[in-house]
Amino acid sequence: MAIYEVGPIEAFPPNSHRVVALGKIEVGVFNVDGELYALPNFCPHSQGPLCAGTTSGEWRCSAETGWKHEFGRRGEIVVCPWHGLEFDITSGRCLSSPRYRVRTYQVSIVDGAVTVSTDR
Amino acid sequence: MFIVDADVHVNDVPGALAPYCDQPWRVSLEALTTTPARYLDIPGYAPSLKLDPPMPGGHENRSVSTAAEMREGLSALGIDAGVIFPDHMLLFAALPHIEYATAISHAYNRWLIEEWTSREGRLYGAMIACPQNPEDSARAIETYGKDDKIVAVYLPTAGVNPLWGHRRYDPIFAAAEAMDLPVALHSVTLVSPAFPCQLDQFENHFGRQSVSHAFGMMSNMVSIMHTGVPARFPKLRFVFTEAGVGWVPYLMWRMDRYFREYRRMVPFLERPPSEYIKERMWFATQPVEEPEEPIHLVETIRHYDPNGKRTLFASDWPHHDFDHPRAIKNLPMVDEMKQRILGENAIELFKLPIAVPATVS
Repeated sequence: MAIYEVGPIEAFPPNSHRVVALGKIEVGVFNVDGELYALPNFCPHSQGPLCAGTTSGEWRCSAETGWKHEFGRRGEIVVCPWHGLEFDITSGRCLSSPRYRVRTYQVSIVDGAVTVSTDR
Repeated sequence: MFIVDADVHVNDVPGALAPYCDQPWRVSLEALTTTPARYLDIPGYAPSLKLDPPMPGGHENRSVSTAAEMREGLSALGIDAGVIFPDHMLLFAALPHIEYATAISHAYNRWLIEEWTSREGRLYGAMIACPQNPEDSARAIETYGKDDKIVAVYLPTAGVNPLWGHRRYDPIFAAAEAMDLPVALHSVTLVSPAFPCQLDQFENHFGRQSVSHAFGMMSNMVSIMHTGVPARFPKLRFVFTEAGVGWVPYLMWRMDRYFREYRRMVPFLERPPSEYIKERMWFATQPVEEPEEPIHLVETIRHYDPNGKRTLFASDWPHHDFDHPRAIKNLPMVDEMKQRILGENAIELFKLPIAVPATVS
């Protein structure tokens, strides 16, 4: 387990994301409205490059919404480019199935540099 | 292990086919080049009723426009050889204009050979049949089917009316049998007035996609069986592409049951439908079912294919729901069976010039 510096904070402007290497693994670092998150660049469904996908929001329609469609949490969802599975960037939860959760990484800012920890 | 992909797709936009199309219909294809190209939705070319509101999210549609790009894409997936099917021509059967459809079918076949199969050694082609014009299509099978790289006859399945068991298509089956080319049904999600594609009752694409491919395959398999096509063309081989495999045991058992009851109505079938299925029908895996217990999929395959000889790996690359070869590699089955499904069955069926047992050179 280790901590990796992945670039200056300016390289991760709000509402952007990019894939960085941590040694042999790749993670996607996301800036969601100023909060930084990181997920594996690996989709557990078919091993696709999850974080190479676009970000989106969450469509909801449930008893809580009165069975009306709502689209919210814009920018908080990443969509795998291979098969379209959606993951919550803040938690690693797959919106369609608990079978496919991904882990999250701790992201910090140390002296203007963004760091990602692989510690659990 | 040598991996053959029974179903890859090329971007057959009107402008690409136009130079290969006879007049006057080349003019029509040229006129379509200014129509915005949408995925499987070009009015007058790939007609489908699109009814849904755009909803942000989802992933981009992919397409492949050159043979070199296809080779690179398949190599990245660890696939050694592929059998080409079209993109937009998946909706071909929905074209009502007989002359126009006939011209497009010839243009596609010429383009397929010229721009794709002759440019890459391990790309093979399924030439398109023209259900709108079976007599012409039979002659086309005799012509294009002579090409070494044409290994199957693609039967446009979505929207075909009447279904493929109708006797009007006998010339196509006779020509394919005579040329020793398997016929390959390939489905797509199409909203059309033709059974079983009346998908307008579904409010969104989840509903349509879930039923369209399997219903298309099931209705066409029953159609083919109920007029005795496999009995009347005893050497003809059939491939069912892009509906997964889960529907096969159900329909096979159901047809056998009603064959026992109604045999007198189909006396040309000398054996139960399941025997024709096991003998001369092949099934491409994509989009492979993903049960929580992978062994359930292996058992499903065994129901119609106890020896692992009638199942073909297909990726459907580059489409949105493609399968990676590891979808088969990771299944709990013996390596010998994986090797057959991933390559050897396709090599034998399509008579590809690759030695079996197949290993990468």
